[in-house]
Amino acid sequence: MSQGPLADVAFWVFGLAAVVAGWLVFRTDSMVRAAYWLFASFVAVGFIMVLLGARFLGLVLVLMMAGEMTIMAVFMVMFMMNPAGLNPMTMVHQHRTAIVAGVVAFAGLAGVGLVADFPDRPVAASAEPTAELGRELLGDSMLVFETAGVTLLATMIGAIALAAKRGRFGDATTGSAAPELDPAPPPEAEEGTGHDHHHGAGGGKEAGS
Amino acid sequence: MSWSAPLPALALVGAVLTAGAGALAMLDHLVGARTAGRPVRLLAALGQPVARSALLLLTRRATTPRTDAAAWALAPAVLVGMAAAAVAAVPWDRGVAVADVDDGIVLVGAAFAVVMVGVYLHGWAANSPLPLHGGYRFVALALSYEMPLALVLIAAALPAESLSIGAIVESQAGTWNVVRQPLGLPLYLVAGAGLAFWGPLNVPDAGDLGGGTAAEVSGPARLAWAGAQGAVLTAVAVVGAGVFLGGWHGPLLPGAAWTALKALALLALLAGARHRLARVRLERFVVLAWTVLIPLALVDVFVSGALAL
Amino acid sequence: MGLTSGLARLARRAPVPVFPVVGAGGRRAATVLPTLDGIEVVTTPRAAVVLLVVGRVTRALLAPVLALHDQLPGPRAAVQWRVDGGGDGDGDDLAGVLPGLVAAPPGDGEQLRRLMGELVSGARTSSPPALPPVEPAAWRGVGPYGQGGTGMTGGVPYGRPMPGWADDRDGLKLDQLKLRLGPAFPPFPPGLVLDLEVQGDVLQTAAVGDNPFVSWPGDPPVTVTDSVEFAAARTEAVAVADLELARARHHLVWLAGALRHHGLAARGERVLRLASGLTIGDAAAVQALARSVVRSRSLAWATDGVGVMSGDGLPAGPVARAAGDVRDARVADDAYRDLGFEPVTDAGGDARARLRQRVTEVVQALELAERCGDRRREPGGAVEGPRGTLAAGEGESTPSAALLERLPDLLAGQEWGDAVTTVVSLDLDLEEAALGAGAPVGT
Repeated sequence: MSQGPLADVAFWVFGLAAVVAGWLVFRTDSMVRAAYWLFASFVAVGFIMVLLGARFLGLVLVLMMAGEMTIMAVFMVMFMMNPAGLNPMTMVHQHRTAIVAGVVAFAGLAGVGLVADFPDRPVAASAEPTAELGRELLGDSMLVFETAGVTLLATMIGAIALAAKRGRFGDATTGSAAPELDPAPPPEAEEGTGHDHHHGAGGGKEAGS
Repeated sequence: MSWSAPLPALALVGAVLTAGAGALAMLDHLVGARTAGRPVRLLAALGQPVARSALLLLTRRATTPRTDAAAWALAPAVLVGMAAAAVAAVPWDRGVAVADVDDGIVLVGAAFAVVMVGVYLHGWAANSPLPLHGGYRFVALALSYEMPLALVLIAAALPAESLSIGAIVESQAGTWNVVRQPLGLPLYLVAGAGLAFWGPLNVPDAGDLGGGTAAEVSGPARLAWAGAQGAVLTAVAVVGAGVFLGGWHGPLLPGAAWTALKALALLALLAGARHRLARVRLERFVVLAWTVLIPLALVDVFVSGALAL
Repeated sequence: MGLTSGLARLARRAPVPVFPVVGAGGRRAATVLPTLDGIEVVTTPRAAVVLLVVGRVTRALLAPVLALHDQLPGPRAAVQWRVDGGGDGDGDDLAGVLPGLVAAPPGDGEQLRRLMGELVSGARTSSPPALPPVEPAAWRGVGPYGQGGTGMTGGVPYGRPMPGWADDRDGLKLDQLKLRLGPAFPPFPPGLVLDLEVQGDVLQTAAVGDNPFVSWPGDPPVTVTDSVEFAAARTEAVAVADLELARARHHLVWLAGALRHHGLAARGERVLRLASGLTIGDAAAVQALARSVVRSRSLAWATDGVGVMSGDGLPAGPVARAAGDVRDARVADDAYRDLGFEPVTDAGGDARARLRQRVTEVVQALELAERCGDRRREPGGAVEGPRGTLAAGEGESTPSAALLERLPDLLAGQEWGDAVTTVVSLDLDLEEAALGAGAPVGT
């Protein structure tokens, strides 16, 4: 389906936007902004998919990423010691490892892109991508998607079990430490290491009511 | 004239959103005046949105220190853009549509999902505690109504065997979806009110947060935010009119008039709900959404699917 | 210019957005504000064109009022409604600090509209800022990204006050914001200052700040303008009908505020209109209102189980009666002896019970007012005020003071919305609490 020069311009614009937004994810100094630059990059990729004729997939990508980036922002703020995402911080660390990994990945993907023989079958204008997708989902790829669906369901049930108010050792609002057989040892001193937000195991510390 | 060409499309969508936001303001004023026991003056109500907009345009725009200026300024634009995308997918009459794409329902779902991003950024970017609180509250609300919204829209697409909103309206030639899927429209309206944070679900801009995400907004930015909320609610009403109330089907009047009337009816319903229902307790509503509304939406999908098979 | 003058002509027809700040003695005068024609009461100073100060600004309220004044975007004006409850010559410093302050008689909505017309057309210049434009805590950064210290997340930030950490009820360590909700927070009773430590939506701790209405040496004495009739009943003879009508009016005004807090501002305005001209003949309208409020499912859903207070230790009054405590000073009162008065109680002690309790008491008060005729009540003995029993002697704790003391324990652990609902449901009055408090500083 060739759509003329406007589609080509749009492709380059969205492609550039996706790359720049992806770069900005790591240049920005705030976790919330990083999450939403990533969202912008995904939206650009989604629009490219729409240009390629896979409109359903592109729109579903945008739909899912909106929710997921918000949840990611909330989780980042929750787990990082950066109050509400307002404190400026640097988003990168382990510079050398990251640079090496990035260069290797780029080389690999670029090599694949240059060497591989991509199919070049223009899709007929009358094709219905959504119907084809549906037939694929319920036909040849049913096992894959059903397995993924059941795995997701198991994950959701596990998450609900984790978040439920009543646990094995009592109500969540009255403290979550397991009862000790021996008298509780004195609570060990907190170490202010980067991402550790759990108390030391076995400490008889009770959360406030 | 093809409504898909850029200029007519912009004109149509712009006119619909402006008219909808204005109509919402008027309806809200009328219902509010009647509820409050004030004398109801129709002409005054017609001029209210214009007068208020003029006042807001003349007020200065104050800022807080070190805001995320781009996000704060763009948040209303995100809402309006997404409302425009949703309105664009709805046909007004047979063949009169800006973009009656094959995946209209998915387009609407994606547009409504990105609204969550806009409201959250509006709260976070102000760099102030009360708007921040409002933004995070809205995320909790949004994640709760998202599932029922998606499910009832999918259920409405099942009888039509197509995701295009035009096909869904065509499939309602005999009976409207509100009749054969009774759970659909109430769930959709609850989710839609939550999406536009309107009335009983006005959680991010609540009075108990001193105005919430709109607490630090003044002048033209305040007008933009109120207009954006009106635009989103208009989009909810227009999509609801097409998907559940039969779109352009109706005797005597031309199809576009029927679509507009049905959308206005939904707007009036939502405007009335604001003055009748108290604001929800967020925790209670989240529990309700996950334990009652999602199962009801699933029942809706199963029943529609069973009927369609 | 043509455009701005055209806009100004249009803008003049819009309702005047007013942000009210209630000072000493101004509470009763401020209740008329939502019912004024062409006036809109807003919940944030950023939306306001007029800052309306009702009553006298005490020395503790001066700085907050100036800060609020500077938060109004231009064009803005400051108006003060002087309520001369404390006698002549009790000026406050506000006119000296705000040069553009307009003094006005209370209840003059027409003047506010005229003021806004002048402001938008440019005939009146916007009120200049009252405070110097200095940021209270300027941010100073050290690291390459402006953070306040070393390390990836900035270490210990200084300058701007930032959130700290605290234990959560699940045993995690999460961020904690320290906030002060100042004396003019719209849902709160005027003058209530709460110092909160908030984790997400949950209030970890709440501390009541200094009462701004406590009178310092040299200030006029504290008067309770909200319930003058009941304070007067301690020393003068009053008609029982007047007393009960005042009680009904007070509870209706509270109900209007509570409805406004729950998002039903239009219904609240209707209740205010009913309250402002309340006579014995309005019994039917009041009963219909009571039925609709008690039956409202959404209101019940929003207040059910919120802010439960058990009956023991509560001061005698509607709050205690909503928890099942039958104490009511009118039972032992000679004036009510043959009227067949029995105190109404409710069970549950939550915000919904308090709402039902006060609505039922309005209906009961109107019935009593109708039945008692011309009966007068002699002074002496405890008076049952609308917030609780006012003891006969001076220096006794007032109901509001007692409830304020219980507020920190009550609010700790509640979610934000529930906490505000609880405060609204208690019907506090900081001036009454200042009467009951002994020392001028601290709680």
